[in-house]
Amino acid sequence: MVDVKNLSKTFDGTTEVLKEINLHVDKHDVVAILGPSGTGKSTLLRCLNYLCEPTTGVIRVGDVTVDAQNHTKQQVRDLRKQSAMVFQGYNLFKNKTALGNVMEALITVQGKGREEAEDIAIAQLKKVGMLDRKDFYPAKMSGGQQQRVAIARALAVNPNVLLFDEPTSALDPELVGEVLNTIRQLAEEQTSTMILVTHEIHFARNVANRIIFMEGGYIAADGTPQEIIDDPENPRLRQFLNLVGK
Amino acid sequence: MLFSWSYFLEAFPKVLKGLPTTLGLTVIAAVFSLLLGTVLALLNYYKVPVAVQILKVWSSFIRGTPNVTQIFFFYYGLARISTLVLNMSPVVATGVVMSLSMSAFMAESIRGALMSVDEGQREAALSLGMTNFQLTTRIVIPQAVRVALPTLFNDMINLFKMSSLAFTIGIRDVMGNARIESAASFRFFETYAIVMIIYWIFSLLMGMVQKRLEEKSNAIYSSSTVTKDNKGLLNKKLQKEKN
Repeated sequence: MVDVKNLSKTFDGTTEVLKEINLHVDKHDVVAILGPSGTGKSTLLRCLNYLCEPTTGVIRVGDVTVDAQNHTKQQVRDLRKQSAMVFQGYNLFKNKTALGNVMEALITVQGKGREEAEDIAIAQLKKVGMLDRKDFYPAKMSGGQQQRVAIARALAVNPNVLLFDEPTSALDPELVGEVLNTIRQLAEEQTSTMILVTHEIHFARNVANRIIFMEGGYIAADGTPQEIIDDPENPRLRQFLNLVGK
Repeated sequence: MLFSWSYFLEAFPKVLKGLPTTLGLTVIAAVFSLLLGTVLALLNYYKVPVAVQILKVWSSFIRGTPNVTQIFFFYYGLARISTLVLNMSPVVATGVVMSLSMSAFMAESIRGALMSVDEGQREAALSLGMTNFQLTTRIVIPQAVRVALPTLFNDMINLFKMSSLAFTIGIRDVMGNARIESAASFRFFETYAIVMIIYWIFSLLMGMVQKRLEEKSNAIYSSSTVTKDNKGLLNKKLQKEKN
């Protein structure tokens, strides 16, 4: 479903954030990316939809392939249509209601009619338990509610891959649960491929079927939750897990 | 008597006759400066190479020179080299200078408003595959308008006051009429009191409209009420679910 070949990202020509990353993700995989801050986890995720443009390397998501050194705007847009992202800061459109947020891409990107878009949006809001807030603007919702709407917005476009960029990091502790439960439920349904960057080790352990540990711009360890968390071999990984208090 | 109420009442309608000219100039200049300001701001927002520098220079030039000088330079100065300006009526010339001058201020207000829409929303739109155009027209501009509204209204009040400079090139607006009246009667105190009152009242009125608009636009994003355009659809949907 996702193929990354020799992906490198350099900021300002000097700071190398990603170093020759190679990654393959199968359909219906739920992959959690862990690692200390500043090791390129988010950058890797954001390269997958070109919010962050890689310096070199080839990315394939679904059936769209984009080469960092040779691509068009249209190719990038096609690549983005293959996935949908849930952000750390929710990033809902502030001038649209919950319903409007979920409908937006269905209308503008997929060219669906209002009626159809609304049917889909209502179904997705129901799924994340936010149907009763459908006419609320983001300003009137809690962080957890906004994030659940953002998840509905991502689900609505029926993406091949769901990308979660630290979806609970900005939430108050008491609101983390509702968002994690929503994501867990999605993972259990096994209908879409998911890649999530997270600091919630226990959550990753329970939800993901594969865990990637990043360190200094490399993938330092890659395996099942049992291999990575219960029985870590890599000394840096062990150190990291001790620090975060596994 | 120092202040003659009878003269005040007699001159008031005469001075007031200039109001249509004053308001006309304001409205026309407001429209054109808003258009020009929006274009400049958008060019700047998208970092179109040369436009960024032009706006910078333009803005510093306009802010750094007095409006009277701008009018004189345009109407008397440029007339020496341009037949277009030479054949221009004073009203048109004032309108042009007002529009050009205020466009620099409005461009700054609009640019600030566009920048106020956070990067996160832009990323969300792009990540869903929306085009830059869709992002700008459907997400950025609707939000920017609400942010820009109060400052733009301030700019318009300034424009209204700036129009009083039209008298310097012989236009009979409120100020122009007052000069003619007072020159004949020597009753400067009363006449300019009239001018002050007229400008003050209209500025107050515009300020009130501004406040109302501001309250209304602030309320929109935070209210939970159903908007008009999706009300019908929703009711239909609810009906369907019931059946």
